[in-house]
Amino acid sequence: MAGEAYVDIVWKQFKKHRLAFRMVWAIAAMFLVAIFAPLVASNQPFWFREEGKLLFPWIVALLNPETAVDFLFNAALLAFFPWAAATAFFDARWRRAGVPGRSRAGRAALLFLALVAVTAANALWMRPSNRYFTRDFKEDQHRGKGSGAYTLIAYGPLEQDLDMIFKPPLSRREAPATRHRGGDLHVLGTDDAGRDVFVRLLYGTRISMTIGVVAVSLYVSIGILVGAVAGYFGGKVDILISRVVEIVLLFPTFFLILTLVALLGPSIYIIMVVIGVTGWPTISRLIRGEFLRQRSIDYVAAARGLGAGNARVMFRHVLPNALGPAFVAIPFGISGAVVTEAGLSVLGFGVRPPAPSWGSILNLAVNNYHHWWFTVFAGISIFFTVWVFNLVGNGLRDAMDPRLKGTQ
Amino acid sequence: MVPTLFGVTLLTFLIIKMAPGDPLQLQLSQTGAQGESQNTREAYLLQRRQWKLDKPTLLNFNWFSDFADEARLAAAFRGMTEGDLSAELGRMASLGDAEDERLEFLRGLGIERFDARLREADRRALFTRVVATAIQLRVESLSDHGIPPLVALLRQRADLKLRIGAIRALNDIMLGDPFVYTYSMEPLPEETEGVVSTWAIWWKREEANFRSLDPARAAEVEKRFRALVDEPSRGRILEGMASFARTDAPFFASRLLAEGSSLKERYVASLALRSHLGRPLRVDVRLEESADAVEAVASNWIAFYEARKRVYEPGLPARLWYLLTDTQYANSVGKLVTFSFGKSMVKPYDPVGQKIWTAAKVSIPLMFMVEVFIYLFAVPAGIACAVRRGKFADRAISVTLFFLYSMPSFVAAMLFLTFFCYGRFLKWFPMFGLHSENADKLSFIPWLLDYGWHAFLPVICLSIFSLAGIAMYSRTSMLDVVTQDYIRTARAKGLRERTVILKHALRNGLIPVLTLFSNFLPALLGGQVIIEYLFGIPGMGRLSLESILAKDYNTLMALIYIDAIIVLGSILLTDLLYVVVDPRISFAKAGGGA
Repeated sequence: MAGEAYVDIVWKQFKKHRLAFRMVWAIAAMFLVAIFAPLVASNQPFWFREEGKLLFPWIVALLNPETAVDFLFNAALLAFFPWAAATAFFDARWRRAGVPGRSRAGRAALLFLALVAVTAANALWMRPSNRYFTRDFKEDQHRGKGSGAYTLIAYGPLEQDLDMIFKPPLSRREAPATRHRGGDLHVLGTDDAGRDVFVRLLYGTRISMTIGVVAVSLYVSIGILVGAVAGYFGGKVDILISRVVEIVLLFPTFFLILTLVALLGPSIYIIMVVIGVTGWPTISRLIRGEFLRQRSIDYVAAARGLGAGNARVMFRHVLPNALGPAFVAIPFGISGAVVTEAGLSVLGFGVRPPAPSWGSILNLAVNNYHHWWFTVFAGISIFFTVWVFNLVGNGLRDAMDPRLKGTQ
Repeated sequence: MVPTLFGVTLLTFLIIKMAPGDPLQLQLSQTGAQGESQNTREAYLLQRRQWKLDKPTLLNFNWFSDFADEARLAAAFRGMTEGDLSAELGRMASLGDAEDERLEFLRGLGIERFDARLREADRRALFTRVVATAIQLRVESLSDHGIPPLVALLRQRADLKLRIGAIRALNDIMLGDPFVYTYSMEPLPEETEGVVSTWAIWWKREEANFRSLDPARAAEVEKRFRALVDEPSRGRILEGMASFARTDAPFFASRLLAEGSSLKERYVASLALRSHLGRPLRVDVRLEESADAVEAVASNWIAFYEARKRVYEPGLPARLWYLLTDTQYANSVGKLVTFSFGKSMVKPYDPVGQKIWTAAKVSIPLMFMVEVFIYLFAVPAGIACAVRRGKFADRAISVTLFFLYSMPSFVAAMLFLTFFCYGRFLKWFPMFGLHSENADKLSFIPWLLDYGWHAFLPVICLSIFSLAGIAMYSRTSMLDVVTQDYIRTARAKGLRERTVILKHALRNGLIPVLTLFSNFLPALLGGQVIIEYLFGIPGMGRLSLESILAKDYNTLMALIYIDAIIVLGSILLTDLLYVVVDPRISFAKAGGGA
């Protein structure tokens, strides 16, 4: 199929763009950080031995997260190793069977999603009660009531420590000396409730990635649908849709999002939906243009001649050829969504405070510039994410630009 | 252009419609009438009526509906004491499934879990209060449409309780005294009709009770009256009222009601009547009022209605007109299109236009500087890169630009504030505002320097994103141009490289860059909100944030609308600039085109 060949060409071009290609791995790493955050930092020990009993608080906490976002990522964490094993096994088979690389990647991704879904459903089904929710194992260990094995950093994202408020980076808890063995260093300092900033940044990756991915998939889907209808049918439909797009684009996006979030009440879901609902016009404009170009090419007439209906022609035949620009917009969109979320948080309309988002750490820094580490580290996280996604977007754009073929 | 403008108003309106919060409805779902005091509630209702928030959204069919049944039921309930209402609720609770008109009415009030709560006999007292508030709200929401049927009830000489209820309901709708006794601080000709009709009603009834003045007193009063009419100061006029007496009323009534009196004469006469007679037309009754008193009040209401019949029972053409115009949407479109945004919805209720203008005077120079800054650096940077394509300078600039492009403006602002303003590290720039405290005492040059010192960081933060974007874009656009044949030709002619780039390439390379001006404007206006907040600049961005926080939807609506109009205007401007820069493009219909 012509579409596949095109994607392969783009992929080859993209690989030549070395920096951008490396940044794909950076993005993957970011998602891995989001997934593996509890493995790196948690206030619950993997196991805890007391009075001859062996408890497993970490896994209990993993199955009883505070939010749906955490639940999803925890499910991904649980599903990851089975998935890696299964993929390693099947991939060798597929390779022998001569399945091309891109299909193998696609199958692996599908397998991952399926496994996450199964794990999530399973976890919902047999969710153990959250019995250690209020228990402070580190305190117990300090008092000699038992001992456990902790993660590398033994702080949770919501764990407060009122003796350690606004401590600068690299400070340690002093009295009582150490509540547990190792992992007591606050690498990037603590915030207004003595929560570890590094751990919060780590978990904040989850929120940022979720907002980025969900919001962008929402608006890309809307944009594709609307743009496809406008471009394919043309005429009055096109005029009407183009007018609407034109009008929505007149409004300053951030201000619009801010207003809507303020009116509807700030929550991570509202933010995702609002970004999703306000972002579609740019995508739909791009897709419309592609559709207008493609619909007069012979293959469309051929497909119609073979008796394909409008929907089939639009989505099976034209869409794969028209997806390019939308594809480029995805990484830029994700970085934009991350920035928007952080911006909303700075103004106090972001994800609700105890939730560990990068924006909420930045929000702490507003009018609190004495504690420089909030601004610097949250700022760097946001900047780095935006930079990485923008680079990938740039690479994709160059790869799709036929004029640049063969350069670099 | 015009359809776009209407689209903009529609979208603005839809956004504001999303605002939650009928505080009254919220109160209903809670405990009853305890929430806000009657006064705030009335202020809120007045506000609501002013903004026509009590009207339907798009089409107003109320002018064609009959509210007689609803008004009768509401009047029946408003005539009940709390005890009566409680007993009535008890009766309804024992009804079971039987049909009951009054029960249906109460069900229609939108009280949460009505049927379940009706059956809870032990919590009836609280529930009674909830129901009473709900009934009052329903009556208020009838607004003008409730007046004709309620007055009709008074005319029918229905039973006493029902008439008391009707009078109370009329008072609910009117939010106080419907009679206008005198002019406002600055008398307006429009007010005359109300004032005259009020005193005409009173005079018609009371004429017999007053004796006409004896000639000497009449001359005396006439003289003083003349003096007051010529008096410009309102304070003096008010003082002058003390020299008249209650018995002089016939003189003033005749002056006020006379056909050819001037506005000032009427003003003084109405003021005299008001200060010596008070508000003589009683409009409210207590629940256990005697039949005679109710009769008197009812006759006042009937007289009032007769005088205003035109307003409450408009003819068919007027109703058809109201169908489209007496709505929330028509009201807001009218306001937006004429740029008359009315008053702010929070204290001290300043006019929105004035508020925005004050803020705009801060933001416009800032935006201007940002634009200048952007184009001053972006275009040369783009050209420099394009000329040295692939060389070190190109790479260095491109990488820097990409870093800047990825740096959210507010992160940059907060880093600047932390490291250059706060003082823990450096204190090179001020943290707040655009002027030092004593800036107004400075002469022009120091003032300008002070301003520049304050504005430097905000301008940089606002610019970086657009600057980097436009610079990268102009690089690509110049690259496209410099590889074209005509540039090679120019070089082959032996022109200097400088001439080739600046004269031949730049003009074509600049065209796509121009459009970006309007493309980046929405981002700029949005970014303004955070940057102005962080730097404490009282501009339009700050104002938008403040009106969001204060739930000042009126200002918010105006701001969203104005921002969209600014973007629309800038798109138009770039289209015009296109023609200037590119001779191939023209707006002429025939033969033009590009």
